[in-house]
Order: sequence, then structure tokens, then C-alpha cells
Amino acid sequence: MLQDLKGAVRKIIEEKKADLVIGWKQGTLPGTATPLFIETPEEVSELIFDSTCRNNLTSYLTKDKRKLSKDYKKIGVIVKGCDARSVVLYAVENQIKRENVFIIGVPCSGVYEKKKLRSVAGGREILSVRKSGIIVTVKGYDYEISVPEKDVLSDSCIFCRYPDAREYDIFIGEPRKEVEVDGEFSVIEDFAKKSAEERWEYIKAEYSKCIRCYACRNVCPSCYCNECFVDQNSPKWIGKAPETSDSIVFHLIRNIHIAGRCVDCGSCVTACPVDVDLRIMNKKVEKEIKERFNYTAGLDINEKPVMATFCEHENQDFIMS
Amino acid sequence: MLKIKKENINTMIEMLMKDFLVYAPVKDGVRTAFKAISSPDEISLGSVKSEKSPKEIFFPQSEVLFEYSKDSVTVPEKNEKPYLLWGVRNCDVKSIRMLDKVFGNAHQSPDNSMFKDPYWKQRYDSSVIFNFACNQPLTTCFCNWFGGDPFDETGSDVFFIETETDFLFKGVSEKGIALLNKSGLKEDAGDDNAVQKIREEAQARMQPASDITPLFEKLSKIWDAPVWTKVASKCVNCGACAFICPTCHCFDVSDEGKNGKGRRVRLWDACMFPIFTCEASGHNPRGNSTQRVKQRVMHKFNYFMDNYGIHLCTGCGRCIAVCPVNFDIREVIKEILKYEIKDKVTADV
Repeated sequence: MLQDLKGAVRKIIEEKKADLVIGWKQGTLPGTATPLFIETPEEVSELIFDSTCRNNLTSYLTKDKRKLSKDYKKIGVIVKGCDARSVVLYAVENQIKRENVFIIGVPCSGVYEKKKLRSVAGGREILSVRKSGIIVTVKGYDYEISVPEKDVLSDSCIFCRYPDAREYDIFIGEPRKEVEVDGEFSVIEDFAKKSAEERWEYIKAEYSKCIRCYACRNVCPSCYCNECFVDQNSPKWIGKAPETSDSIVFHLIRNIHIAGRCVDCGSCVTACPVDVDLRIMNKKVEKEIKERFNYTAGLDINEKPVMATFCEHENQDFIMS
Repeated sequence: MLKIKKENINTMIEMLMKDFLVYAPVKDGVRTAFKAISSPDEISLGSVKSEKSPKEIFFPQSEVLFEYSKDSVTVPEKNEKPYLLWGVRNCDVKSIRMLDKVFGNAHQSPDNSMFKDPYWKQRYDSSVIFNFACNQPLTTCFCNWFGGDPFDETGSDVFFIETETDFLFKGVSEKGIALLNKSGLKEDAGDDNAVQKIREEAQARMQPASDITPLFEKLSKIWDAPVWTKVASKCVNCGACAFICPTCHCFDVSDEGKNGKGRRVRLWDACMFPIFTCEASGHNPRGNSTQRVKQRVMHKFNYFMDNYGIHLCTGCGRCIAVCPVNFDIREVIKEILKYEIKDKVTADV
């Protein structure tokens, strides 16, 4: 697969189908890949794709006031299923022109969650992460632990319906359109069964860990505002100090801002340096959108963004009563 | 060195707790953080570095400078006991000493008086730091790039080593020596060979160091070089690296008040954030990611050297471990050192 991918990318660069292709290369830490920006055929040799390729690279298409889009006429990007949905999202929200992005789909079997790898290692330093069949082996100086791969896969991947790109210019292999998953929203359904006090205690405990580095926001493909509300000071929406109440406001507003736009790529979860449980509220909002509007972000490039449309048959209880 | 059996260490810590507020590494799940302890049992020295640096003990992420109402100003009360930091790695000890150059050194105020930061000083000046030798450095550790070593004791008050059965203590500063003298610990020639073996094993774990001697000069000459775009391309401009860094110390001051009363708060800030330099007019002199990455690198390896004769980095490697895109500062330094100056370098833009 990797050879096919490299061949395809080399061809794309040589035939100038894209001026830049964004992919991954081996990172400097075990079990970690890092973004690779390819402009010449020689740079293709560093390209990799495996379960360490966590980053949703499409966020570079809109990052930094769309600098890349200014510098390059056509950008190629290698995508997993979730990443491809981000490109679709950008297109339907008029952030990119579809024809300016060359989408290279790769078959995804899920990515490893840093937090879960660390948990397997019991907090000890990890020196290597190897996969053999469905077993993942984590090694350190004085330990070697093998676990089933599903134990270290990101929750986003375990419950992923669309592992492969549905929108692409080229796909390496055969894309799966949709896969069956059980309990897509189990995390929030289980949480909803708890008492209000328990839920509140959990949310408070999680968000009190936040150091407000905004790594979650900055890696999020759906967070591309030129100026985030937390950075505005007239009016000032929230306090800058990492106090729990302000941190909760930050995260909840972000949740609402990405309602119907979150593709559950898990980037925020992986980026958080203090392991805040960011996914649970994202899933809550995703579930609401699914139930109310039967909408899933990033699936259909011809569909209008759910929060920017209105249909008469939609549930209107909240205004009619 | 002074020796104490491992099983007796809690007695020593309890004694110290009488005179000091003791901060030590405490385990929270698989993570480790420095916290004020109420019992020595909470301490987890372990082999892994704390995820956040202990800088926040002296320089908290958010700190109330004063509270005000229409007719009064209240400055928060001082801590009652002096601080004792237990089990700090040498990279973090050096970082705290660097921060003291900024906050504890006299700087000239606009009215020509010499100003020292009182909030820093009241915590820092009376503090004692127990530097814990690194028996098992991590692969992200690169203190050796800056002349450090897992068993370096530079900057510490007391230096201590863990062996299989004992803890060995050595007073380094006057303050540290005096404290140990009071401790009643017995001098013990000990097994030097055993300590030497631990030390050699630790050093063997360190990755080879890059020679960074030319870095300062090089940085002074490449302001406009295209290498910046190359190294900055993957940075997503979050503040994770700055907030877990033991040496980053930029801050913002925020007034929070209404109805005639409020407070002034000092908060960590980071040069990675777009609004860090955004001016009231809306103009941002560091409007893009490349400029901001350049600022971070320049501050650490050029400006601070210019001002204080030392690099603002001790090679703790935390930023490498937390970066969501694996922006590895070691690779950045190597890339810059490798860069050959070809074009005529223009002046500041």
C-alpha cells in the first residue's frame, strides 16, 4: 500500500496535479508520525502511512489565515475517512474550492491514541510501538507489553462508521463506503444515565485540568475562525485565567460552535497535553444533530451545512410552545 | 555524602515539613505533577519527569496581584512557610535559576528606580531546592546539549541520589549545607562504585549532543532566511509547548472588575498565540505562524543569550513530548545549524 501511495504522490507532484502534498513521515518519538510537506519527488521517500498517523492534516488548509492556500494554487492532502470529511466540510462552508484540493484517500484501520499507549506502559517511557497482526507491542527499558490492537485505538476509530474517504480524487486501494459499528454514541448514552450531580462533578473535574493552551482548538479542522471568541476583548467573553468556570465556558462554546461540524477525528483528544476528556461533549452535540436533523458532518459535498439551513418539517417545539 | 536508608526517608521529609511547605512530585493516574504535600506518602519520585514543570510553584499560571474596591487596595497575603522543592530534576533547577534572572534581578523602572518582582521574590528567596539525580533519563532529554548531565548538581541547594537501598545527600549551596547539618544525617563514605555505576548507566541513556556553540551567531544572521518557513510549517500555534516549558515566562496582565471593585491578575501568555502581539489598531507585527515560531526560537537561543549570557532552554524535552504535531526543537536547532547562508541578508523587516 505504501509503495502505491508513494508512487501516486510522486506522480501527482511530477505531473503538477498539486504544487504541494501534505502527508506524514516518521516522527521523532516512538509511535508518532509528524506532518510532511512534499514539494519535490525526492521528498516522497520519507512518506509513511500507518496507525501512528494521527494528525488530521486538512487543518493546514485553513490554518494561519489560509496561508498555504495563498502560497500554493493546488494542494494535495492525504486523508483518512475523518480527514476527508473535513475537506468536504471546508467545501460546503466555502473555505476552500473543491477543485483546489487534490484529495488522496488511504485505507484507514484506525490510529493509536497516545493516552492509551501511555496507559499500557503504565506511565513509563515508551521506546517502541510495534504491530504484528492484531497485536500491538509496547516496549520500554525494562518492560514489554502486548495488547490487542483495539485496546490502543482511539475511541474515534473504534466507533468510526466512515474509515475511508468518500470524497477523493484518487484512492489507494478499495474504499469502504460505510462500516457497521455498535454503540456509536455509547459514551454519551452511558454518561446520561448518571445523576446530574455525578455528571457535573465529572465535567468539572475534567475541565479543571485545562491549562488553556488551546491545542485542541488549534488542531481542530473545524476551528478555523480568524479570531476565536476567547481572543476577543471587547466584549471579553471569558476570563483568561484557567479557572474551571471559564474553562468550562470555553469548551462548551467550542462544542456549540462545532455542532454539526465535528467529524470526530480525535485530533483534539490527542493534542490535549493534560488529557481532558474532550470527546464526550463532542459526541453529545453530534448525537443531538443526528437525532434532530439526521445529519452527519462531511458526508455530502452537495448538502448545505446543517446549522445554516432551515426546513419546515424540522422539530419546532422550542418556538411553538 | 550523607546517607539515609530508604525506609527512613519519610522521617526526614516530615522533619522538613515542620519548617517548610514541601512541594514534591505526586502521581495522578499515569501522570506526575508537583504539588504541596500534606504527607510524605504522597510523594512519587519515580523515573519519569513531571508533565508540567515546577515553575508554577514560583510563577503560577494565574496570580492575583491585588484586589481593589472604590476606597481600598488589598495585596494577597504572603505564604507563611518558606517553600521546599523536593525531587526536582537538574533541568528544572536550572530553569528556576534562569527565571530568577528575569524576576529576581533588579531591572530599571521607568522612574529610574530598580525594580524586582515582589511576588516572585517572596516565594523564591526563602526557598530551598532538593535536586534529584536522574537515574533514568528519557529519550526526549537533551540537557547535555546545554552542558548538563543527569547527575549535574549545578544550581541546587541540596543534591540527592537514589541507590538500591539508600538516599545519598550532598549540600551544594550554603543554605543547603546548613540545612543538612541540622538534619542529623550521618556522613558515610558509601559505595562510590555503586554510585558511579548508576551515573554511568544514566549517562549511557543520553542521546549524543549536538554542538550548539555556533547557534547564537547563526541566529543573529538569518532573520530573513527561508529556513524559518521550513521549520515553522507544521507548527499549529497552540501554547502547549510554552505552558509546559520550565523557562517560558511571558505573561499578560488582565483587569477583571465591575461595580467599583475587582482584581488585577497576572497570567501566563505565549508568543505562539496570534493576539500576543496584536496591537490596539488591529495591526499584528507577528501576524503569521512563521514569525511566531521564529520569535520562540530567537528568544530562547538568541535574545536571552544576549541579555543574560545563557540559552533559555535546559533541554528538559517536555515540549517534544507534548507537541501535537511533533515539532521537535532538537530538529529545529539542527535544521538551523545546517542551514547555509547563501543570500544577502537584509535588515529587520
